[in-house]
Amino acid sequence: MPDLPELNPVVHGRLRLALLSLLSGVEKAEFTWLRAQTEATDGNLGAQLLKLEEAGYVAVEKKFVLRKPQTLYRITETGRQALTEYVQALKQLLGPAIDA
Amino acid sequence: MQDHTTEQELKDRLSLIESMIAEGRRKTESWGWTFVLWGVVYYLAIAWSAWGHSVWAWPVTISIAVIVTVVVASLKGGNHPQTTLGRAIGSIWIALGISMFLLFLALGLSGRLTDQHLFVAVISAILGMANGASALILRWKVQFACAVVWWVAAVTTCFGPDAQSMIVFLVAIFLCQIVFGIYGMITQERKMRGPIHA
Repeated sequence: MPDLPELNPVVHGRLRLALLSLLSGVEKAEFTWLRAQTEATDGNLGAQLLKLEEAGYVAVEKKFVLRKPQTLYRITETGRQALTEYVQALKQLLGPAIDA
Repeated sequence: MQDHTTEQELKDRLSLIESMIAEGRRKTESWGWTFVLWGVVYYLAIAWSAWGHSVWAWPVTISIAVIVTVVVASLKGGNHPQTTLGRAIGSIWIALGISMFLLFLALGLSGRLTDQHLFVAVISAILGMANGASALILRWKVQFACAVVWWVAAVTTCFGPDAQSMIVFLVAIFLCQIVFGIYGMITQERKMRGPIHA
């Protein structure tokens, strides 16, 4: 895989990429909604979201709604930029093969 | 990019991004029920005010409808994500609800809810504005047709006898609340059953 190192490794992980893509289309999303969309386990999802948070790509907001804890995630500007650059890099790597 | 597996993997990543973004924007909430609910509420308020001649008819029914809408919406909302589009549409209808609640409460309590033509014109114009704004944001022709029906009702009620004004209002409620609400519920149900991933 000679071209893969050019891709951002934090974004490239399949679940992390799915999470960033999901969050790019919404303002905020709950942990349970992200879990339902990705069909990931709680542990794996939490771990990947933590990696994205540590990279500064997502921000977390915790609050209580009707006494129930709610964890909301949103993509940051840095995360959006990273996703955009990742897509551009993907397109460059694929080149003419993109339409094949 | 000579490795075919790598190329396929990269294509899969692009496909994943597209499907996830589409999924995030997918409107899963169904708001058709609110149109039906409010249509029924209007009919109840009209019947109450016509037969009971109570100044409380509109303030009470609108208040109950606002409470029922808020409670059911919060229960149905679940864990759906917030989107800018959803917040824009929601804001229009929340503002409409507050305007109608305050207007009818004040008119009812002051005893000035007596001119049927003016009343129907105002409520129809407000509903036409909300439906029109929502339709333009969503680019939804069917809802824009509802807005046109409300605007026509607002104008035509200013002319002609009381009976004509009331018939126009009742027909507009039936078309733009009951029929449109059921149509909205059916179309949302079809979308929910559709394929999720590309």
